[in-house]
Amino acid sequence: MRTADTETLIRALAGQSPRVQPLARPWVRAAAWLAIAVPSALLVVVMMPGRGDWVSRLLLPRVVSEEAFALTTGILAAIAAFASVVPGYNRKILLLPVVPLALWLGGLGQNSVRDWLQLTSQGFSMQSEWVCLPATIMAGAVPAVAMAVMLRRGAPLTPRLSALLGGLAAAGLGNLGVCVTHHAYGNVRVLVWHVSIVLLLTMVVGSVGRRLLNWQSLVEQARRAAMGVSFSGSSDDGDV
Amino acid sequence: MAEPDTHEERLAALMRSAQGGDADAYAALMRDLAVRVRQIVRHRRAFLGRADVEDLVQDVLLSVHAVRATYDATRPFLPWLLAITRNRLADAARRYVRHGAREVVVDDLDVTFFSERTNTMTTTYGDPDALKEAIADLPAGQRSAIELLKLREMSLKEAAAASGTSVGALKVATHRAMDALRRKLKKEVEDR
Repeated sequence: MRTADTETLIRALAGQSPRVQPLARPWVRAAAWLAIAVPSALLVVVMMPGRGDWVSRLLLPRVVSEEAFALTTGILAAIAAFASVVPGYNRKILLLPVVPLALWLGGLGQNSVRDWLQLTSQGFSMQSEWVCLPATIMAGAVPAVAMAVMLRRGAPLTPRLSALLGGLAAAGLGNLGVCVTHHAYGNVRVLVWHVSIVLLLTMVVGSVGRRLLNWQSLVEQARRAAMGVSFSGSSDDGDV
Repeated sequence: MAEPDTHEERLAALMRSAQGGDADAYAALMRDLAVRVRQIVRHRRAFLGRADVEDLVQDVLLSVHAVRATYDATRPFLPWLLAITRNRLADAARRYVRHGAREVVVDDLDVTFFSERTNTMTTTYGDPDALKEAIADLPAGQRSAIELLKLREMSLKEAAAASGTSVGALKVATHRAMDALRRKLKKEVEDR
């Protein structure tokens, strides 16, 4: 939809081009996001009652490596999300969280199969861990909102993918907070409850990517700001 | 500041100044980008008419303006510009396909139903002078919409460009004008 002739548009845009602060690099923005997200996730963790002797369990090498991969996935997903809204970056950067995610899920999967075989021979019952869903949402809410606000300052080149990556970072970090004090006993339960909750929340955030990040609103806002005089001029005629 | 060596460096320098609030540098940059983007659009969308090409050029310029904070002065300028241009062209193509899928081409039939109910404007009422008067009584915006779209038979895009308003505003104005004309002409028929 054309506003006026292109030269008029250029003059209007140049007429209202105040100084803008260039965005920091993706990893710097990811660090800034972590500075907001980690304390808020920790706050939820502190407020949640711990399950059993969670401190000694946290020091188990298996749990340490699992949490480390989950944290790395969240951090790299955040860097990839911030890189995805900067034009000109090589798209390969979006694959950053794939390796730690694969290692995290692979390790969990392998341990789960081993547990499953061991437990089915001794009689196995799967306990519900629904409490992890609201806990993860609460721990991930502030990181998710901060991520959304920061992503909206960029260019919506790949809205769904950016939202997916941002959602993975926020849900991953939220879940990590929950895992610290509320780690489910056994790999099968971690895989079924914690990982599926992270993936579910990631998919939910990804599905609203186009609503959250789109060119239409940015361009309309820019057009309205630039051509505001013309628009108000036409509405004075009483037609709209 | 040292003189930029290449065209790309010149563009990058202009963008850095524009980010710093230099309106003249920004206008120069936008003029340069308009030429470059127009070439790209013409090359990639050779089937488009002049007006559609300008639509896309303006869309890209507005997009560049909206996300100018994402340009990092330490990185090359052209990949940044081309990523935005490619993305906006792909968006426009998707929009075109979506609109095309929703539109149904209907033959322009010469005949209509014979019942009076379907021919109120042509059979019951046929006073061109009264119609002219009714149009003249419309508010300026609505009158302009009717003149451009109904009398001069312009497309919505052409009418929007000619009147300097948006397609949405034109649609609203036309709808209201048609309502007003229908009410006024119906009242005149009833008063006779």
